[in-house]
Amino acid sequence: MPEKQTIKIDIRDVSVHYGTFQALTGVSMPAYENKVTAIIGPSGCGKSTLLRSINRMNDLVPHFRIEGTVTLDGEDIYAPRRDVVDIRRRIGMVFQRPNPFPMSIYNNVAYGPRLYHIRSKNVLDEIVERSLRQAALWEEVKDKLHQSGLSISGGQQQRLCIARAIAVQPEVILMDEPASALDPIATLKIEELMHELKKNYTIIIVTHNMQQAARVSDYTAMMMLSDSESRSGTVIEFDETERIFTNPKDKRTEDYVTGRFG
Amino acid sequence: MNAETNIFAGLDMARLDKRRRRINRIMLSLTAVATLFAVIPLFWITIYVIIKGGSYLNLDLFIHLPQAMGTEGGGVLHAIEGSAVMVLFASIFAIPPALLAAFYLLHHPNTPLANFLRFSTDLLSGIPSIVVGLFGYAVIVIVQKHYSALAGSVVLAIIMLPVILRSAEEMLKLVPQELREGALALGSPEWKSALTVVLPAAAEGVVTGIMLGIARAAGETAPLIFTALGNDNYEIFQYIRQTIQYRQGVGEAFKLILEQPTDALPLTLWKYAQQPYPERVQQAWAVALVLMLFVLSLNIAARLWLAKRRRQRYG
Repeated sequence: MPEKQTIKIDIRDVSVHYGTFQALTGVSMPAYENKVTAIIGPSGCGKSTLLRSINRMNDLVPHFRIEGTVTLDGEDIYAPRRDVVDIRRRIGMVFQRPNPFPMSIYNNVAYGPRLYHIRSKNVLDEIVERSLRQAALWEEVKDKLHQSGLSISGGQQQRLCIARAIAVQPEVILMDEPASALDPIATLKIEELMHELKKNYTIIIVTHNMQQAARVSDYTAMMMLSDSESRSGTVIEFDETERIFTNPKDKRTEDYVTGRFG
Repeated sequence: MNAETNIFAGLDMARLDKRRRRINRIMLSLTAVATLFAVIPLFWITIYVIIKGGSYLNLDLFIHLPQAMGTEGGGVLHAIEGSAVMVLFASIFAIPPALLAAFYLLHHPNTPLANFLRFSTDLLSGIPSIVVGLFGYAVIVIVQKHYSALAGSVVLAIIMLPVILRSAEEMLKLVPQELREGALALGSPEWKSALTVVLPAAAEGVVTGIMLGIARAAGETAPLIFTALGNDNYEIFQYIRQTIQYRQGVGEAFKLILEQPTDALPLTLWKYAQQPYPERVQQAWAVALVLMLFVLSLNIAARLWLAKRRRQRYG
């Protein structure tokens, strides 16, 4: 590897169960600081489950159980007495379908900071502008900040959700197929945005679209259902994106990225 | 069977098509007639009350207390105010627990407690309202040794509760899970996400459910016979004003009026309709119309508020 990389998120030997159903088995992979890491793989192999284990969103699912460790800067995020709210502030999330809250554009972005008791109008104004600029949305909405967040296009809504996520200054942003509900032009905007965002944030993106993974990511994790009896998802290969797409070590990865899978 | 076999050979297609179209016409007419039967009572009742009540409706009704039996004139201000006060307090008693319970059902849909809650609210909404009134009599009126607006409000709240709870649960279920998760992913505690994102997103449906509950409570007569009893000669709002003036306290004022036996529109309607004096029977018709207007105006106010809110939030 050309430069020294800092591991921001480290997933070690993680297995996830929902009740009796095992979703993930022995997943290990890192996510490097200020890099984009893509998670690819066929439907139902546990990509979203893995992503949602990183900011503890799976805690909401009844009978969720996790083994192994997930660390953020070396600290175990599942450690007892660990504050979930703090984890989620430091690890933001952008969802598959744009989900602006039914309130104004301004209030959408200010929602997070207000949760952390930022009340000053000046400070909030500044955060809103900075976040919208970082999400490359400011120019399009600066004259209608007090219009509904649902009144703008789908692609703009998704960038609004990105602005909302970065308004609380997270260190990591998780993206769960952020462009799958968008048209190609809006998708392109999101992808360009990711190149900008990785200067300040560590990004982990789940995507179905292999070209997208190849375009936006520095590292790629290939997931697949294991051949073992449990038929649960696992990471079969992790490497620099270029290697995954040009010279994968695992035959299954090669079949998948060249479209011969299945 | 090879690809060329015509499966329709030997069938008289023209005749079958005709038959299908005929059956279609008959069924369509039947559904139209059934729809008509369903809406006739609504319009009949409404128009009848408007005609009968409208001719006796006058301003006195809204600004005066009742006069002595057998004399002309006077109003039902006491009942309008009584209904307003008891419906208000019933809402205060019923809405918060109904919404909290609806959130419980939303987040824990399949626990034994949730199933028990659903089952018991269904039972509760099936209990005849006069029985609820008797319950209020037994646990409040008997204990306090007097009839009161408090007892009336409590029984109305019991009647409203299942209506609001079940409709709120259905409406909250319609809010996309992504909205709740979006707030939680920002680090919002569950209660804050519920209060600031999920509930506002479901507000239209929830308010409609609350309006249904209020309409139900505002129209109840039987449970009030045992609890609020009725009170002909007492202008509540003036009483509140005076109490505040002399004792200086809104809380004190409400405490006092909750202690009084109180009238309500349906109670007045029920009593007046049985009177031998034609003036009273005429007023009963007018009261019926006032009661309908009371619920209608609350509904219109809620709709206007929702429409305004909708423009702001959804653009």
